Amino acid sequence: MIDLIFGIILVMLVVTAALALFSKKLLNSVVILSLFSTLLVILLIILQAPDLALAEAVIAAGIMTSFFIITINKTEEIE
Amino acid sequence: MNNISFNKLFSAGLVSLLGIFLLITFYDISNLEVTLSLSEHYINYGVEETGAINLITAILFDYRAFDTIGEATVIFTAASIVALILPQHEASMLKTEFTPIVHQSIAFILPFFWVISIFLIAYGHLSPGGGFSGGVIISAMSILIIFTYGFHYMTKRFNVTRLSLIEDFGALLFLLIGIFGLIYGGSFLANSQAGIYLGTPGELLSGGLMPLSNLAVGAKVGTGLSIIFISLTRED
Amino acid sequence: MILLYPTIVLLICMGLYTVLTQTNMIKIIIGISIVESSIILLLGAMAYFPDAAAPVLDQPFELVADPLPQALGLTAIVINASTTAIMLALVIKLHNRYDTLNIHEIKRLRG
Repeated sequence: MIDLIFGIILVMLVVTAALALFSKKLLNSVVILSLFSTLLVILLIILQAPDLALAEAVIAAGIMTSFFIITINKTEEIE
Repeated sequence: MNNISFNKLFSAGLVSLLGIFLLITFYDISNLEVTLSLSEHYINYGVEETGAINLITAILFDYRAFDTIGEATVIFTAASIVALILPQHEASMLKTEFTPIVHQSIAFILPFFWVISIFLIAYGHLSPGGGFSGGVIISAMSILIIFTYGFHYMTKRFNVTRLSLIEDFGALLFLLIGIFGLIYGGSFLANSQAGIYLGTPGELLSGGLMPLSNLAVGAKVGTGLSIIFISLTRED
Repeated sequence: MILLYPTIVLLICMGLYTVLTQTNMIKIIIGISIVESSIILLLGAMAYFPDAAAPVLDQPFELVADPLPQALGLTAIVINASTTAIMLALVIKLHNRYDTLNIHEIKRLRG
C-alpha cells in the first residue's frame, strides 16, 4: 500500500517539475515550484528523515517563494 | 532558427549522456557491500557520549560542530553580499491596503510564531528541529510583518543595524562556546571530552553546552535571513 | 521504492536542460533550484533501508536509519537557500543596468 502511494507521489513530482520548467508565465512557475517542494516534504517523511522534512518545509516552501515573488515584482516592466 | 534548434538538440544529447552515466553509477552504488562503521558508532554510543537523544543534533553540534561554524559563515556572507549589492532603489512596490480583518488576524497569529520557534530551538536535542528550523521561522515572522503592515513600520523598529547587532552576538556566542571547551582542557568545541556534566538524557537541561549552541545558531540564521529580505525589498 | 533513483536522475537532467537552453534569467534560477532539491532527495534516499526507524532514539530500537547523510543534507538545504538569494540579488542588479531579463541581449550589449 505504501509502495503505491510512493509511486504516485514520484510520478506527480516529475509532472510538477515539468510544468514548472516549461510554462509560459513566470508567476505560474513560482507557485508550482512551491507545490514541488511540498511533495518533496511528503517524500522525505516516508523516507524516515524528520529533520530534513522540517527544514525543507520552512525554507523551500516558505522563504524561497517570497524571495522569488519579490524579485519578479521588482523586475517586471510596468505596462 | 537553425542555430537555436541545433543548440537545443545538442544540449538534449549531452544531458541524456549524463543521465545514462548517472544511472549506471547509481546502479553500481546500490549493489555495493559496505559496512557503515562510523554510523554504527554514532548510533550505539551517541546518547551516552553526547547526552542528546536526537542523533542529527548530536552530529551537527557535537561530533562535527566545526562544519556548523562553516555553514553559519555562509549565511553571514550571503547576508552581507545582498545588503551590499542592492542599492536603495526607487521602485514602486504595489501597495495594497489590507482591511482591518487582515491586520487583526495577523496580530493574533504572530505571538504563536515566537512560541513555535523558541520551542524548536530549546527542544532541539530531544525532538526533530534544532537551531536551523527555529531560526528560519523567526525570519518568516519579519517577512509577514513587512507584507501586512508595510515596510516603514518594520524599519522603524528593527532596522538593519539593530538586526546585524543580534547576528554578531550569535556568532560571538558560538565562538565563545568553542573557546570554553579549550579552556577546560579538551579540544576546540569539545562538549563531553572537556568534562562538562551531561545530565540524564531525555530531560530539557541535558547535553552539556548544546542548548546554548542551538540558541546561537538560531539567532544567527533568523536575523541573517531577515536582513536578506529587508535588503531585497527596500526602496527610496 | 524501486523507481526512486531513476526519478532523481530524470529530475537532475530536466533541471540541467533548463539551465542550458532557457533564455529568461529567472527560469534558469528555478532550474538550479530544482537540481538542488533533487540532490536533497538523493541524500535522504541514501540513508534509508527497508524497515528502518527515524534517528531519534527515545524508545528501544532495532534498526535505525543512517544519521550521517541526513546531517549533511540539513547543511545543504540552508546553503542552497543562501546561494539562491545571492543569485536573485544579482538578477535585480542586472535588470537595473540593462533593463531586460533575456540573457542573449545581455551578452550582446558590451561597454
